[in-house]
Amino acid sequence: MMHEKTILLVEDNRADEVLTLRALKKANVANQVIVARDGVEALERLFSPADGRIAERLPELILLDLKLPKIDGHEVLRRIRADERTRLLPVVILTTSVEEQDRFDGYRLGANSYVRKPVDFAEFAEAVTQLGLYWLVLNEQPPAGGKG
Amino acid sequence: MSGAVLIVDDSLTVRMSLLELLNAAGLQSEACSTIAEARQALATSNYALVVLDVLLPDGDGVELLQEIRAMPAAEGTAVMMLSTETEVRDRVRGLTTGADEYVGKPYDPTYLVGRARELVRRSNDNAAQGEDTILLIDDSVTFREELKQTLQQAGYRVVIAVSGEEGLRLAANSRPSGVVVDGVLPGMDGATFIRRIRLDAALRGLPCFLLTGSEDRSAQLVALDAGADAFATKEENAGVILARISAMLRSAGEQSAVRATTSLLGPKKVLAVDDSETYLQQLAEALRAEGYDLILARSGEEALELLSVQQVDCVLLDLLMPGIGGRETCRRVKAVPAMRDIPVIMLTAVEDRDAMIQGLGAGADDYIAKSSDFDLVRARVLAQIRRKQFEDEHRTVREQLLRAEYEANKARTALETAEARATLAEELKLKNEELESFSYSVAHDLRAPLRAIDGFSLALLEDCEDKLSEDEKQNLHYVREAAQHMARLIDDLLALSRVTRGEFDRTETNITALAKDVIRRLKLSAPEREVAFVVANGLVASCDDRLLTIVFENLLGNAWKFTGKQEAACIEVGVTGDDPEVFFVRDNGVGFDMAYASKLFGMFQRLHSKIEFDGTGIGLVTVQRIIRRHGGRIWAEAAVGAGATFFFTLEGSRSRDVTLAADAPVVGQTRKDAAA
Repeated sequence: MMHEKTILLVEDNRADEVLTLRALKKANVANQVIVARDGVEALERLFSPADGRIAERLPELILLDLKLPKIDGHEVLRRIRADERTRLLPVVILTTSVEEQDRFDGYRLGANSYVRKPVDFAEFAEAVTQLGLYWLVLNEQPPAGGKG
Repeated sequence: MSGAVLIVDDSLTVRMSLLELLNAAGLQSEACSTIAEARQALATSNYALVVLDVLLPDGDGVELLQEIRAMPAAEGTAVMMLSTETEVRDRVRGLTTGADEYVGKPYDPTYLVGRARELVRRSNDNAAQGEDTILLIDDSVTFREELKQTLQQAGYRVVIAVSGEEGLRLAANSRPSGVVVDGVLPGMDGATFIRRIRLDAALRGLPCFLLTGSEDRSAQLVALDAGADAFATKEENAGVILARISAMLRSAGEQSAVRATTSLLGPKKVLAVDDSETYLQQLAEALRAEGYDLILARSGEEALELLSVQQVDCVLLDLLMPGIGGRETCRRVKAVPAMRDIPVIMLTAVEDRDAMIQGLGAGADDYIAKSSDFDLVRARVLAQIRRKQFEDEHRTVREQLLRAEYEANKARTALETAEARATLAEELKLKNEELESFSYSVAHDLRAPLRAIDGFSLALLEDCEDKLSEDEKQNLHYVREAAQHMARLIDDLLALSRVTRGEFDRTETNITALAKDVIRRLKLSAPEREVAFVVANGLVASCDDRLLTIVFENLLGNAWKFTGKQEAACIEVGVTGDDPEVFFVRDNGVGFDMAYASKLFGMFQRLHSKIEFDGTGIGLVTVQRIIRRHGGRIWAEAAVGAGATFFFTLEGSRSRDVTLAADAPVVGQTRKDAAA
């Protein structure tokens, strides 16, 4: 049942992508992880670029970096929250920045969490483990039909 | 103040003649014959001018003059003394007591009326002074109200009209000192308004300021063509417009003052100096007939005494007189800056070539033989007065040109300064933005590779555990340690830069509570440690509490760190009781050698090896920056093995805080740009 749930990882840095996937694997998160390498790609995973129709399968969790090519993380988040169909998707900002303004903007735009990527990989792996555990296991998703 | 004139003279003939003359000249006048009557009249009404005889049946006119000058209500009242006394002494007495004019009898009617008119106008002007009214004509409410406020703040009274037609009515009724009119108005436009003003005999001297909509040259030409005295575009800021209006009114005021006193057609005073009474009387008679007011003096000494209190337009000076004589008198007149422009015509009994040279050598402007007929004297006097007139006019024009140039220069300089400042401010803003995006890049981009270095080193350690020797594993640990240390350096550098550029907000802060909060967090980080903390009660300071938290985090953090190997660690926070208040943080840790104290606050300076105590060498630099931002100072006392004490003050100039705080608003904006 858990296998049906997918994670959308929005990350432009290959090293960070590999490390995040490694950390998820070590945390025994077996969900499929889809990687988008810039803001445009991330949005295309959610909305069809041709007609704006929503993707057939939405991810269960989005791990979103802020500094991205083309469209940045804040803008991706804004568009996700602006669309009725993706408004309630859990989005966790996973970034290097701890600047107040970035945190403020992240929460203001409706991020569910804001996590800084630590340099120490042991700490990073621990953070990813907890994220996976919390959002994919502990946390109850909003009902599918709930249009608020 | 009305145009009313009070005549005080005991001679009925003089009273009747003056009443008739002045009333005919449009000066509403009344008359009385004694000082007592005059006092009564002065107590009940305001007069613009009092024409006052010196010899009155119940007293001395000069004494009444003294009383008038002491009356607050008669402050603007002009007084013209009228006397048969021809002694210079009387004249000097009247003028030094405060008479505005002293006319000898018999008087020339034209002269008297001319002077009376001038004096009345002057006292009315005086009365109106200090409340310059400006008529502002504009149909745009926003602009009108803004300019109105600016003008009122500068002390002008402002009358508003919303159309040219209303403006003309108000100009005629309220007689403003100047008009500011918008070029574009519904109905009658600004240029037409000014043209109409220039056509009206009573209003044509009114200074007009035209507001044009744009920098358009043709609009300015139209303005000047219509007769505007000055103009500005509405885009100019209110301060610049105000400065131009003030300059226009100032120069208009000066021009009218010059016109009032030195009109070529106006009445003239001539001082004749001769020891021969007969010649003086003949001269006086001949010149009075030409409309001159003659003042007679019998010696050079008398002439000089009179000239010190009375302005004249020409001096006729006999060369040969007892006392200091004509030549010396002339030399003295020409030596005084205020008098040297008065034309002096030397008179002598004979056509004497030597005397003539001597006279001209002393500075006389012309030379006439007494034998000449009076027509010639008249012509010469007129020529000299006219010459002086031209010189005065030239000087006035020159001064006006210089003033205009000065004003223009001043305006240009002000503008250049403003532009230079704006450029600097803009540059500073750009620099701040640059620094901001640089810091952001450092934070974001330098950390990502470090994470890869650390992460993949650990991945190697985990994945190849069997294949790696112990040395190889140790080396990978060193790689990870270095990466993590660099991450801390980056974090500390960022914290340091935030301390310098962030907001600064001084508030009354409970330092005791702030220090205790930092201590609580320290204890949480290593619950196993036993450290005795002593924090003085009631510590308060006016400071930025966010920044002071960073100070205590560093100082208490250091104390915590350097007492790590102490058996009975003790850390103390308090004040020394000096003025200004000196705070301190004391520990009984490893301390340091005071020989290295100067290095304490240097960037990346560390007094202990990394193996002994970890650190980046940025903490105390950050603390010092914060203390300096508060205008305070920080210093330390320590000895090896005997602990260290850090002292700091938070006093200082607040102006510095303001400039630093002003940089703050730039921050939020740029970060978003950098992220995009």
